[in-house]
Amino acid sequence: MEKIIELKDVCKSYDLGKVKIDVLKNINLSISKRDFALILGPSGSGKSTLLNMVSCLDVPTKGNIFLEGEDVSKFSEDELAMVRGKKIGFVFQQFNLLTHLTALENVILPTVFQGVSREESEKRAKELLSSVGLEKRIKHRPMELSGGERQRVAIARSLTNNPEIIVADEPTGNVDSKTGKIIMDILTDLNKKGRTVIVVTHDTDLRKFSSRVIKIKDGEIEPEK
Amino acid sequence: MNFDFFKIAVQNLRSRSLRSWLTVLGIVIGIFLVISLLSLSEGLKESIMKELRMMGGDMIMVFPGDTSDMMTTMIGGVELKERDIESIRRARGVDVIIEMPWQGASVRHLQETKMSLIYGVDFQEALYVLHEDMGWDVREGELPRPGRREVMVGSLVPQDVFPDLEVGDSITIEGREFTVSGVLRSLGNREDDLAIPVDLPDFRDITGKREGTPVALVRIKEGYQANTVVENIERELEDSMVRRRDEDSPSFSVMTSETVTDMVEGIMGTLQIAVVAFASIAIVVGGIGIMNTMYTSVKERTKEIGILKAVGARRRHITSIFLFEAGIIGFIGGVGGVALGIILALLVENFLSGPGAMVQLEAYISIWLVVFGLAFSFIVGCLSGFLPARQAAKLEPVEALRYE
Repeated sequence: MEKIIELKDVCKSYDLGKVKIDVLKNINLSISKRDFALILGPSGSGKSTLLNMVSCLDVPTKGNIFLEGEDVSKFSEDELAMVRGKKIGFVFQQFNLLTHLTALENVILPTVFQGVSREESEKRAKELLSSVGLEKRIKHRPMELSGGERQRVAIARSLTNNPEIIVADEPTGNVDSKTGKIIMDILTDLNKKGRTVIVVTHDTDLRKFSSRVIKIKDGEIEPEK
Repeated sequence: MNFDFFKIAVQNLRSRSLRSWLTVLGIVIGIFLVISLLSLSEGLKESIMKELRMMGGDMIMVFPGDTSDMMTTMIGGVELKERDIESIRRARGVDVIIEMPWQGASVRHLQETKMSLIYGVDFQEALYVLHEDMGWDVREGELPRPGRREVMVGSLVPQDVFPDLEVGDSITIEGREFTVSGVLRSLGNREDDLAIPVDLPDFRDITGKREGTPVALVRIKEGYQANTVVENIERELEDSMVRRRDEDSPSFSVMTSETVTDMVEGIMGTLQIAVVAFASIAIVVGGIGIMNTMYTSVKERTKEIGILKAVGARRRHITSIFLFEAGIIGFIGGVGGVALGIILALLVENFLSGPGAMVQLEAYISIWLVVFGLAFSFIVGCLSGFLPARQAAKLEPVEALRYE
């Protein structure tokens, strides 16, 4: 399968004055198109930092990251923002919806920075919200929605710009197990429709949804079985 | 696209409405001061200029004292004496000298007694000059004749001072009876329109002052240049001062009406700059308020900024959102300030336009003043928001997302 993301000798370290912490140590990893990859690791293992690298939120201290063959590791912040806006959709553990915007407005938000016309983006956002079963909730604000509903709004938002990659950081961390299953089913469905899905979690139960498990411990990737 | 930023900005402001309104208030106060003070000072300037424009270009004014401290002269009651008038009369090129002393006096019509401003004008020598050169004319009745104990009244006297007054009525000024021969047309400002011109000898008689005038107008003889006559008058006045060296001899100011116009414009210009400078301090304080609010807002919304960046917002998008917010605060403050400023200016004008008022003042509110107030407040908002917006734009997305 064609590689969509490739990490070569990626190191990330934080300089905290006296001590230097190496969070990622020489990571070599590639994720193919249409993978459903689970990055699994205990807290402090560096899995979130790895996710930041994969999702273009941050750049490595050393090494290179290729996104569809393009080296993004030396990109400026604005260039990364453009890449994120176009190619990557985010789903967070805390949902990270803007509290003073309605569900619809939250879903429209990513298009605002891409210059999509208002009618077009509103049409798209309504479709996405109904595809996650929230067509009756579009005027509600996040505070008026349940945890599961909020996460579904967040998933809809991640899809607004029709990205190839969906990155989810502990997407089931703040919902009950039943809702968690619904969320994972939606992600599986998206994967089946051709999107690359990367999920970071410490929950080993989620293995069953994935096509591939990447275990990380102490900043290093354990060899895949 | 920018409309969306505008919407996001408005929603952000609304979600913190108390703080937003308090910040707006800071700008309201500053703009309010600028607008009210500017419209009133502009009104003052306009009314002085209107009066000056009534005079033709071939008039010369003589004031006692130096122009550099005109206020002292006017308040101190320094006057031109009879011998000064004589000196002016000797100057070549002088045609007519019009003395114009004024004073408050109690005036009675029927059973009503009121304080009113009277001024002395020589009906024999000077009235025709005022009639021909300065546009004095009667609306009703006739110009008064000298020596007949006749007076005319300003155009607003029959409506604001003595509502029942008609031409031919008699009025009593400080116990002396006069006949009203006519009502003047408006002279362009309320102060003059509320006054009663009397014949100069009668004025001397009423006030008991046998000489002196705070200002003298000079009409130039035909064929003479205004500036030459100014020099001639100055020379004559200086000569007479030299002769009276032992006396306490004040200086004089001799000016053409053009010079006076320039001077008034200069003084008022300086006054307005001072007014704007002081009011600007209030606006600066308001601007600091906006900056403070915006910095707090950036701090509070760190996570939100992280989310916006994660979903693709670039630096300039974040900057725009925060600049819009600051600009909106400034602009709303400007709207409030302009409105309150106009209201205050109108109230002051209303308060000062009663018949007994000391100063006559009309608020001068131009569309430009309003536009200036709104644009200025919007710009102050944007400038104050600039640093906080830049700080917000510079946040690292990973750090910002982690912020709780």
